Amino acid sequence: MTPFTYSCPKTIEEAIVAAESGPDVRFIGGGTNLIDLMKMGVEHPRRIIDLNKLPLKMIEEHNGGLRIGALVSNTDAANHPLVRSRYPVLSQAILAGATQQLRNKATMGGNLLQRTRCYYFYDPSFEECNKRRPGSGCAAIKGYNRIHAILGASDQCIAVQPSDMCVALLALDAVVQVDGPPRSIPMRDFHRLPGSTPQIDTNLQPGQLITAIDLPPIPYGRRSVYIKVRDRNSFAFALVSVATVLDTRPDGVIRKAHIALGGVAMKPWRATKAEQLLAGKKPDENTLRAAAGAELQPAKGYRDNAFKIELAKRCIIRSVQSALRAG
Amino acid sequence: MYSKSMEPRIVGTAVPRKEAAAKVTGTAQYVDDVSLPGMLHGVTVRSGHPRALIRHIHFGDGIPWHEFTIVTARDIPGRNIVTLIFDDQPFLADGEINHPEEPVLLLAHENKDMVRRARQHVFIDYDPLPAIFDIDEALQAKTIIWGEDNVFKRYCIEKGDVDAVWSQADFIVEGEYSTEAQEQLYIEPQGMLATWDPETGITVRGSMQCPFYVQKALMPLFNLPAEKVRVIQQETGGAFGGKEEYPSMIAGHAALLAWKSGRPVKMIYDREEDMAATTKRHPSRTRHRTAVSRDGRLLAMDIEFIIDGGAYATLSSVVLSRGTIHAAGPYRCDNIRVRSTAVATNTPPHGAFRGFGAPQSLFAIERHMNKVARTLGLTPEEFRRRNFLRQGDSTATGQLIKQPLDLARLQQRALQLAGYADKLERFSRLNREGTRKKGIGFSTFMHGAGFTGSGERHLQSVVHLEARADGTVCVLSSMTEMGQGTNTILAQIAAEALGTSYEQVQVLRPDTAQVPNSGPTVASRTAMVIGRLVQSAALSLKEKLLQAALLQPGYTPEQFQSACREYICSIGPLKTSAQYEEPPGVHWDDEKYRGEAYGAFSWAVHVAEVTVDTVTGEIQLDDFVALQEVGRVLNPVLARGQIEGGVAQAIGYALYEKVVWRDGGMANNQMTNYIMPTAMDLPPIRVYFEEIPYEHGAMGAKGIGELPMDGPAPAILNAVENALGISFCHIPLLPEDVLSELSVAREAALDLAGSVV
Ligand SMILES: Cc1cc2nc3c(=O)[nH]c(=O)nc-3n(C[C@H](O)[C@H](O)[C@H](O)COP(=O)(O)OP(=O)(O)OC[C@H]3O[C@@H](n4cnc5c(N)ncnc54)[C@H](O)[C@@H]3O)c2cc1C
Ligand code: SF4
Repeated sequence: MTPFTYSCPKTIEEAIVAAESGPDVRFIGGGTNLIDLMKMGVEHPRRIIDLNKLPLKMIEEHNGGLRIGALVSNTDAANHPLVRSRYPVLSQAILAGATQQLRNKATMGGNLLQRTRCYYFYDPSFEECNKRRPGSGCAAIKGYNRIHAILGASDQCIAVQPSDMCVALLALDAVVQVDGPPRSIPMRDFHRLPGSTPQIDTNLQPGQLITAIDLPPIPYGRRSVYIKVRDRNSFAFALVSVATVLDTRPDGVIRKAHIALGGVAMKPWRATKAEQLLAGKKPDENTLRAAAGAELQPAKGYRDNAFKIELAKRCIIRSVQSALRAG
Repeated sequence: MYSKSMEPRIVGTAVPRKEAAAKVTGTAQYVDDVSLPGMLHGVTVRSGHPRALIRHIHFGDGIPWHEFTIVTARDIPGRNIVTLIFDDQPFLADGEINHPEEPVLLLAHENKDMVRRARQHVFIDYDPLPAIFDIDEALQAKTIIWGEDNVFKRYCIEKGDVDAVWSQADFIVEGEYSTEAQEQLYIEPQGMLATWDPETGITVRGSMQCPFYVQKALMPLFNLPAEKVRVIQQETGGAFGGKEEYPSMIAGHAALLAWKSGRPVKMIYDREEDMAATTKRHPSRTRHRTAVSRDGRLLAMDIEFIIDGGAYATLSSVVLSRGTIHAAGPYRCDNIRVRSTAVATNTPPHGAFRGFGAPQSLFAIERHMNKVARTLGLTPEEFRRRNFLRQGDSTATGQLIKQPLDLARLQQRALQLAGYADKLERFSRLNREGTRKKGIGFSTFMHGAGFTGSGERHLQSVVHLEARADGTVCVLSSMTEMGQGTNTILAQIAAEALGTSYEQVQVLRPDTAQVPNSGPTVASRTAMVIGRLVQSAALSLKEKLLQAALLQPGYTPEQFQSACREYICSIGPLKTSAQYEEPPGVHWDDEKYRGEAYGAFSWAVHVAEVTVDTVTGEIQLDDFVALQEVGRVLNPVLARGQIEGGVAQAIGYALYEKVVWRDGGMANNQMTNYIMPTAMDLPPIRVYFEEIPYEHGAMGAKGIGELPMDGPAPAILNAVENALGISFCHIPLLPEDVLSELSVAREAALDLAGSVV
C-alpha cells in the first residue's frame, strides 16, 4: 500500500478545501470499498479525507420527500421508519446487498461511488484493464465475463455498476446533492456508460463532495419491489436485479411504471421502453413479455453472460407482477 | 474390538479437540507464522502456455537481478522428477511445457514485494505446440501429449459375462453423466519453509498431509539419503486431498532455492496462485448401459468411466482405481464390466480430493439408477430395494460382504427421517401452481475405507507409543492433523486402550526425524487403520505394565501414571510399537482387479429437498438428511463435523463450484468468481449414524472422511428432477443451465398462455 496522509475535517467547507489539493486525494466514508482497492493496489491515494465527522448523518423530510445525508450508514437508511414506509424498495435493495457488518460501515455516498466488481479491474496482476489503466485493453472481453454487462457496454469496457441501492434510487427518481460547488445531479445522469472513457464512472467532478440524496414524494411508493438474482445468498453481487415502482388505477391498469435494472450495465439501467409499453395497460403475460423483450432488444451477451438477457426479461416480468401485489 | 469388561469412557464422547485452544487463541503456528533469520521469499515463474517448447528466457530491465537467487532446471543437483507413481513430472520445466501453470523458474529475494514484482519481469519465449483440453480430444489422440496414446492408466473389472445378457434383458437403459473439476479451497493456501545445511541436509516445514511423500520426493531431487531430508508438518489449515501430492512440488522449490542461496526460503502461495496452479478434482465422464428384467432386477451393468488427469500422471491411476471400484454402487449384480481410463490433457494435473474418484462414478450410478427405475415404472426406492447388496453378496470386484448389511432398512430409515413419502405427495400437489417447484431426492452409496487392494499391505504402516517419566504417553505416527481431528481421536483411542486419561495422551506433530512412517493421511484410513495400530500399541504398553506387576486390573488413570513413572525409573524406557497386519482372508489381484478391494465399506443414504425457481433457475436446498453406517463413532462432534462439512462441500460440487477453463488454465481463480456456498446457502444438515462395530477397525470404527462427499450431488439432482421433471446429468448445475432447459421447454410449449411467473 502506498503511504498516505489522513485528515478528518469537521465542516463541509474544510473537506472541500482539503480535496482541492490534487488528483491523489480521496474521501473516505465507510472505507469498505476504498480500503479494499488500496490493499489490492488498484487505488493509490496520497491523501485521505475522512468524512465521518461531517454533519451529514441526517434523514429528514424535505420538499414532501426525504433527504438522506451522505454519511448515513446503509443500515440506518434501510431501517429508517420513513424509508421503510414510503420507499420500501430502497430498504429492500440496500438489505439485499453485502452483509450486515458491511452495511453497518458503508455510507450512502460511498455506495453511490462503489466501483465495479469486474475481476480484472480488481486484480492488478492482469495487465489489461481500460478502467484501471486507460489504453491497456480489456481482459474481460476475452476472459471470464459471467457478471459483465449486456447493455450499454463498449469495446473498451464491459463492466457493470454493482450497487443494489443505486437501482432503487434510480427507480425512485432520486437526486444526488453535491457540494464544491453546489449542484444537483439526478440519478439518471449520475453514472456513465463506458464509451471511450471507461476510467470515468460518474459525472461527479474530482474533489466534489456528495452531501445528500433526495427522494421526491411518490404517493404510490409502497407499490414497489426489489428483486435480486445472485450466485449465493451472501457475499454476492447481483447477476440481475430489478427495482419496480408502480402507479396503478383501481382497475389494475398501470398509470406509470418505474423500472430500473441492476447488474446489466455500467449504470443502473432505467427500463424506459418497458415503462412506456406498460403505461396505460393492464399487464397480462403477453404485455409483460413484450415490454421486457423490447427493453432487452438491444442487449448483447458475451461468452459467459448471455443467459443474463433471458434472465433480465424474466426478472422484469416477475418484479412487475410482485409489485402489483405489493403495497 | 474394545474390551467388554471396561465400558468405554473416552471413545464415543465429545472430548475437546487437542489443538482447539491453540487455534482459538492464535498461538497455533502455521508455516507463514514462522520466520527465520536471513530468510528469503521465493516465487515461481510459470509457463502461461498450455504446451510449448521453451526457446529463451530473458530478464527484463529495472530489476536488480544480482540480488536474486534464481533456479532453473539446469541447477538441479539430482533428479528433476517429482517422485510419486509414474516418473513424469519435473520440478521445473526443462525445455518443454505441458500446461499453463508449469513451473519454469524460481526466484528468491529478501523483499517479498520485490520478488513478486520481479516475477513479472521474467520473459520466456516459446515455440507453441498443439495442445488438447478435454477427454474427447485426448482419446482421439490426434495430438499425443503423453506416452503413446494420452492414456495414463486403464482398468477393467469383469464379473460374470455382461455380453451374454443383453439379449435376455427386458430393458436396456443407457445414460451418460459428467462432472467437472472442483477446487479444494482449504482456508490456508499451500506454503513451505526450507533450510539447507551442508552437514544436516535439507529441512522443510509446512502445510501438508503426507510428510513421508515429501521426503521421498526430495531425496532424489538432491541425491540425499533419508537422514538428510527432514520434513516437519506445521499446523495445517485444511487440505481435503489438495495437500497430498502437491506439497512435494512446493517443498522441492523452496528447498532448491534454500540450497542455492544457503539461506532459509519461504514460499507461500496467494489464493489466486493456489487455485490456478495446484491440483483439483478430476473431471469425469461416465457411460452406463444397464440390462434389467421386467421385475426390476439388475441383470448386467456395463460401465465406461473416464477421468481427465491433466498434464502429468500424479495420482490419476489411484483416483481412477477408486472411481472404478465404486462405479457399480452398492448393488448386487452378477454381470458387471467396468472399463476405465485416465487420460492426459494440457491442464495443470488433477489430483487427490476428498472421495478420490468415487464422487464422480457414484454421481453417475446414482443418477442412472433413477433413470432405470423410471424406465421400469418403479419408484427409485423400490428399484434400489430390489437390488441392494446384502451380507453374503459380492461386489463388482468379487469382494464378499462379510459384515451385517441391511441397506433396505437404512434407506427406509433415511426416507422416514426426511418425511419422504409425505413430501413427495405434498410437493406434487403444490407444484401444480406457482413458479417455485419443490422436489425431494436421495442417493444410496458406500465408500471403501483405507488404501485400495494391496495398498495397506505394501505400506506396512508403523506407529509408536512412548511413555514419559511424568506418566504421559506420546503417540508417534505420521498422521497429520489438518482440521479433521486426527490428534483428538488418536489420543482418545490410546487413552481408552491404556486406561489413562485423555489429557495424559499427547500426539506428536509429524516430523520425519521423530515419527515412524504410518503412511499418508488420506483415503479415510486414519481412524480405521492407524487408530487400530494405536490401539494395539497401547494394549501392549499396558500389558508391559501388567506383566511387570506395576498395575492391577481395575486400575485408575492415576495408578496408570505412577506405574509408568516406576517402570521408567526401575526398568527403563517404556515404548511399544505396532505394525499393520492384513486381516485374515483378504486377497487382492492387481492384474485382474478382483478381490477384497477395501478392508471395510461405510454405507450411507442421503436425502435432499430442494426448491427450484423456474423463473431464475436458482436452486435452494431446504433440508438435508444424511444417515450413515460408519462402524463405531469415536467422537460424535467430530464425526458430525465431518459429515456436515462433506455435505456442504458436495453441495458446492453439485450447484455452485465451476472451474472455468481457458486454454488449459483456470480463468476464475478468485473467490469472487469461483463461487462456493456460504452458511447462508446451506440447508439444515441433519446427521444420523448407525453404529455396527467393525471388528478390524480401531475400537470398531470405519472410515468416514470421504463418505459424505459421494452422495449429495446425485441426491440433489434427483431432487431437481423430482421438482421439474427434467433430468440433468452434469454437475455443477448452475442457474443458467436450469434456465436454458426451462427456456427450451418453454419454447417447445406452444401455448404461452399459462403464467410462467
Ligand atoms: C464482501 C463485499 C460484498 C459486497 N456486496 C455488495 C452487494 O451485494 N451489493 C452492493 O450494492 N454492494 C455490495 N458491497 C459494496 C458495498 O455496498 C460498498 O463497499 C459500500 O457501499 C461502499 O460504501 P463506503 O462508505 O464504505 O465507501 P468508501 O469505501 O468509503 O468509498 C467508496 C468511494 O466513494 C468515495 N466517497 C465516499 N463518500 C463520499 C462522499 N460523500 N462524497 C464523495 N465521494 C465519496 C470514496 O472516495 C471512494 O472512492 C459489498 C462489499 C464487500 C466488501
Ligand atoms: S470490463 Fe472494464 S473493468 Fe473489466 S477488465 Fe474490461 S476494462 Fe477493466
